[in-house]
Amino acid sequence: MLEKQVVIVNRLGLHARAAAKLVRTAGVYRSSVRLERADGGAVADAKSILSVLLLAAARGTELSLTVEGEDEGEAMGAVCALIENGFGEEQEA
Amino acid sequence: MSRRAKIEKHEIRWRGVAVSEGVAAGRVLRIHTGGRGNIYRATLDPDDLKREVRRFQAAVRLSRRQLLAIKRRAEVALGAEHAYIFDAQLLMLEDRKLLDEVEDYIRQECANAEWAVKVASDKLLAVYAEIKDDYLRERSSDIEDVTRRLLVALSGEAQSRRLTEDAIVVAEELLPSSAAELDFSHVRAIASDAGGWTSHTAIIARGLGIPAIVGLRDLYRHARTGDEIVIDAGRGEVVLHPTGATVEHFTEARKLVHAGAGVATDGGGVPLLTTDGVEIILRANVELPPEYEGVRRYGARGIGLFRSEFLFTQRGGAPTEDEQCAAYTEIAALAGADGAKVRLFDLGGDKQHNTGEFETAERNPALGLRAIRYSFQHEDMLRTQVRALMRAAATGRLDVVLPMISDVSEVRRARRIIEEERARLGAEGHATGELKIGAMIEVPAAVMVADQLAREVDFFSLGTNDLVQYLLAVDRSNDEVAGWFRTLHPAVLQSIKRTIEAAGGAGIPAIVCGEMAATPAYALVLVGLGARVLSMAAAAMPRVRRTLARVDAASAREVANLCLDSATADDAEETVRAELGGRWPHLFSPENLPAAKSGE
Repeated sequence: MLEKQVVIVNRLGLHARAAAKLVRTAGVYRSSVRLERADGGAVADAKSILSVLLLAAARGTELSLTVEGEDEGEAMGAVCALIENGFGEEQEA
Repeated sequence: MSRRAKIEKHEIRWRGVAVSEGVAAGRVLRIHTGGRGNIYRATLDPDDLKREVRRFQAAVRLSRRQLLAIKRRAEVALGAEHAYIFDAQLLMLEDRKLLDEVEDYIRQECANAEWAVKVASDKLLAVYAEIKDDYLRERSSDIEDVTRRLLVALSGEAQSRRLTEDAIVVAEELLPSSAAELDFSHVRAIASDAGGWTSHTAIIARGLGIPAIVGLRDLYRHARTGDEIVIDAGRGEVVLHPTGATVEHFTEARKLVHAGAGVATDGGGVPLLTTDGVEIILRANVELPPEYEGVRRYGARGIGLFRSEFLFTQRGGAPTEDEQCAAYTEIAALAGADGAKVRLFDLGGDKQHNTGEFETAERNPALGLRAIRYSFQHEDMLRTQVRALMRAAATGRLDVVLPMISDVSEVRRARRIIEEERARLGAEGHATGELKIGAMIEVPAAVMVADQLAREVDFFSLGTNDLVQYLLAVDRSNDEVAGWFRTLHPAVLQSIKRTIEAAGGAGIPAIVCGEMAATPAYALVLVGLGARVLSMAAAAMPRVRRTLARVDAASAREVANLCLDSATADDAEETVRAELGGRWPHLFSPENLPAAKSGE
């Protein structure tokens, strides 16, 4: 099991478009991918969009990312990269 | 209209309110609007539960296929950027959290799939309502959309959305959201049970230049997708299961209509002058992308009214600043040198849009939180919209229209917000263009204080549909009081005149952009009241142009003055019939004039 702290950096936070990208990315891997708000507010299965949206993670939200399974290394790498790059969002003003 | 007749497929006729012109024959395409109101609960036999779960899974697959198709279409029409919204909905249909919940409910409660979907969706919506973040809370509109789509799929009517070449849309009522989904290039005509002259169905149909009849009461219940049907908007008549002779009769009628339209398409690009040399400017009202083509084709002098709330329904939620900026840039390019007047979102009230809000029914929606009031209440949305407008105005000429203004305080408040955002955009390094600010005059109070308003805005837009509704206290979507919706009521004419004079006194333009301007006889009266700029569905421009080019403004003023002196709407209509028919018999045959009121 791998665990890492991440911060949502894109302007709109984990809104529908970013959440969709996250769910699509997590869905590629066999490992389970979990996100939990650092403030303990909510836990989400990163393969469920309804659950990810309920994190209500705005910009600046700290999340702890837990990945467990046969391809956990790759999954962790891909999900981290996506979050840290602000979901590839062009930086709007 | 007996049940027996239907089974034997005898010809059945309906009479309704024709809201646009033309004749069409084709096959029924029933559009189910997927209301959630009448979902029933059934208790199933335990042996049937497996089948019920499979039925639900089939509905999910069907919904997925539809969404993928819509997404592909949106990608082509709007670019990949805009199609993302459907991604979220697609993922919801793959979400085990939702699917398991529905399936478990069916199995554990022996419930029918419709009920299980409703329960699961209500539960989700309740959780989303708790989210503190506005933007994310709005995702509830995606859940609503997905739920509605699943319910339609379960009802088995979903295949009907595949359009054949000769589709005639039959619906209880056409909502903006279903309108956004249809490929209107294949729709030949529209017939709906509900709705009046100014309903959304009517406005869409006139914009597309296709025949439409509304107020047909129970056509939807009798018609089945694939049935043969004929629509004659000239006579307000619909015939289901027409006989060969009937079809032939209507085909002849259509030839006549088409012959008339051929003459009508010329004349664009040349200034429109009355015979005594008064220039009248015709601009286009635009809402749906399929209408864009008509702006150039019919020679519009720019766009007189862009109803921006379509951007909401199209996307299923609040469009972002960049998305709006792209849309307004396209509108400005389409309008060219004459520019486009963009009305701020007219949300709330009778306009049912996915604003992400839960529908808390207002007792008097038309008098409730709508238009500019709604925008002030949702200031972030308002700021995003004006930012997008100013950025797009850097690429072409755009003006903004503030809907439902009742006095100058609202104009000042909107102007302050616009200036704040202009400063902010400048500081952020964005180019902005000038944005003239106009007031929509549709609340009677605004007419009374038109002189004061005229000093603080750059132009007036007269919205005659709502003005009639508010002035005469008639709900424009309620068939029961349709008889009281009188465009030629002297109070309406007095208000229009007063507004135009107030604009003239302050030296600002007044543009009349309600549906009234699209009817040649009424357009003539408007010119007589002093209107010089008319905005209408592009498809209506040829016939209005043809009429106005053959009359003189001085006579139009005489007719208008006679109408202003009338005591009742009946008198004013009679005056129009007598005067127009007498002065210009070659232009106004009896069927081109408002019908004499029947004795009933």
